[in-house]
Amino acid sequence: MIRYVTRRLIQMVFLFLVFLTVTWFLLYILPGDSVALKYAGNPNIPPQAREVAMERLGLDKPVLIQFRDYMFNFFQGDLGVSFNQYPRPVVDIIGERLPRTLVLFLTALVTYYWAGFVAGKYLAWRRGNRGEMAVTIGGVGLYSMFLPFFAFMLIWFFSVQLGWLPISKFLDPEQWRDAPFAANQVFMRLFWVALIAAFAMFAANFAGHRSHSRALERILRVGGGALVIAGFLYYWFGTESGQSMRPYAGDIAFHMILPVLTLTLIAFAGVMLLTRSSMLETLREDFILTARAKGLPEGVIRDRHAARTALLPVVTSLVLAVATVIDGGVITEAVFSWPGMGEILISSVLNEDIPVAVGAFAFIGVLALIGHFVVDVLYGFLDPRIRVTEHG
Amino acid sequence: MTARRLPLETSAGRAPLLEVSGLVMRYETDAGEVSAVENVSFSLGRGEAMGLVGESGCGKTSVALSLLRLAPDNARYQSGSVLWEGVDLLGLSHQQMRQHRWAEISMVFQGAMNAWNPVYRVGDQIREAMYQHFDPPLKPREMDQRVERLFELVGLDPTLQTRYPHELSGGMRQRAVIAMALSCEPKLIIADEPTTALDVIVQAQILEELKEIQEDLGLSVLYISHDMAVIAQVTDTIGVMYAGKLVEFGSTRDVFHRPRHPYSYLLLSSIPSVTGPRRRPVSLEGTPPNLLAPPSGCRFHPRCPWATEQCRKDEPPMMEIGPSQWAACWNSDQVPEMGEQLP
Repeated sequence: MIRYVTRRLIQMVFLFLVFLTVTWFLLYILPGDSVALKYAGNPNIPPQAREVAMERLGLDKPVLIQFRDYMFNFFQGDLGVSFNQYPRPVVDIIGERLPRTLVLFLTALVTYYWAGFVAGKYLAWRRGNRGEMAVTIGGVGLYSMFLPFFAFMLIWFFSVQLGWLPISKFLDPEQWRDAPFAANQVFMRLFWVALIAAFAMFAANFAGHRSHSRALERILRVGGGALVIAGFLYYWFGTESGQSMRPYAGDIAFHMILPVLTLTLIAFAGVMLLTRSSMLETLREDFILTARAKGLPEGVIRDRHAARTALLPVVTSLVLAVATVIDGGVITEAVFSWPGMGEILISSVLNEDIPVAVGAFAFIGVLALIGHFVVDVLYGFLDPRIRVTEHG
Repeated sequence: MTARRLPLETSAGRAPLLEVSGLVMRYETDAGEVSAVENVSFSLGRGEAMGLVGESGCGKTSVALSLLRLAPDNARYQSGSVLWEGVDLLGLSHQQMRQHRWAEISMVFQGAMNAWNPVYRVGDQIREAMYQHFDPPLKPREMDQRVERLFELVGLDPTLQTRYPHELSGGMRQRAVIAMALSCEPKLIIADEPTTALDVIVQAQILEELKEIQEDLGLSVLYISHDMAVIAQVTDTIGVMYAGKLVEFGSTRDVFHRPRHPYSYLLLSSIPSVTGPRRRPVSLEGTPPNLLAPPSGCRFHPRCPWATEQCRKDEPPMMEIGPSQWAACWNSDQVPEMGEQLP
């Protein structure tokens, strides 16, 4: 296993280098004079001033030298400075945006994966009744929905018509005027709570699966849930240098509802339909008949035998879902003016803020690679048939 | 002549453990009702081994699944009863039925490959059944010892219990399935094509071991197979099924050496004997009938060389042929001796 993980990590580094190189050159050949665009958007700036600027940004050097310098700096943690917000370092911009995106993605991913899996499980189990038909058809509808349209419909309904939720942005500036924290402090805290909660729930569920007693399984599941709630409470009442973060976190959570709902509803349907068909297939397997013949209760057959085995292809799809959530996230962030990585990706490419664009791509690439890696390891963990042996 | 019910006292002279009488089961499908089990009656005594043979689709697995009430959801029991120690299983609640499964009747499934859930260790899947059925529950240590004993009983290395199903060979898996079937000390084991997926040598070994275990533990076993020759060595009685009906029933000796129903005769004669006298294999013409619309009269008449007008009109009841043999045929005296040429 250790060897496998090491090999995968080395592969990832190579893959990342290729990815970064391709991205860099693709953005380099973008047509247009970025420097001219940057400086007051004026193509008529004096040639001298332009040359000075070019020289200062290193744009006068040959391509390969520029590339060499970029890579050299990249692995020292220097991603250059933004053209647009000169002289702000790219690392700084990404450092500000990344937590916001991670919190949004992670929350959406956990919510829709869990909801989709549970819904798909019950759909397959109760196959054939009217409710199942309705939900399946609704799921197909959601699955084929155009995301921006759907997001606008939700905004229209919940924010404009009902006025329950904010229309856009990630916080209410009024409320934060005298805030003792930077928004990102709150975001980082949210991120860790969400990550730990997701992991705790997974671990509790998995441990429950391993136990033979139904009661113990229930205790572990409920315990996992309780742990998550405890985490949130800790967060909720938590203080940072004597000040409560509660109202600020609440504000961010409030603004997160709509974007998470949008991402969840759209992506949830895909997971649900996949789980349903995978589960239907599993239910036809002989080992389900064996489980019935053994006199196991229906709930055990459903959860421990059918759903556990049907989970495997669903986990595979998680790899693809990582990509979906990233590009879906870009659109969602744009629609909701959520100042995260997706939003900065679009604006930097449109404004030819090349260093920021490359940096943003690089981080999204890293996220996707980490996603793949986690799923690979997870899959080996879940399916003994493909578990890698030391000598394999 | 009226149909005679099979006697309660079986050939071995013991009180029956299981008595199936007049069982009628149909599958509801979009195309109509499929008559899968039609008026099947037999009984099985304690410590007895019985075989149920027939072509695929003849209803033998449907009968077996009925004993555990595991038939698919679209199965409908029209009439008849399945008496287990005097209690009708068809009338039990789901809860009662669940407690009855595996603890009283367990099953060795065909194709042991798929009988195991691929994501759990073999030993854990056996323990799972024991967790369910032992009251008070066994302690973990007792359970470990039990699994070890079971593995030794079926000729497996006890350390194999920590393996996953895919890490075992076909024969090992089948042995482990038998160990699992024995885990809750059932009185009856249903062995549905227990050796079909295995090579001939392993097949013989496993059947032999199963027979030994059956005799040592005083179990009853119901073997289900399409191959009469395979189960003839290990059973006391044999029932032959055709198109949902039991057409012949009797001691293995009688049915195997002197079948009295044309179908049993043709089924046996269609297989060339390797060890017995040389004879020309006889072919069984035609295909099994469509059970959505079974033939009138005797269901075998379209394929039967001895069919008469009576066979087309009237359904033959089970008739006593000898001291321990019954056949549902109007012309059972016309069926030739094994090895004779067809007229």
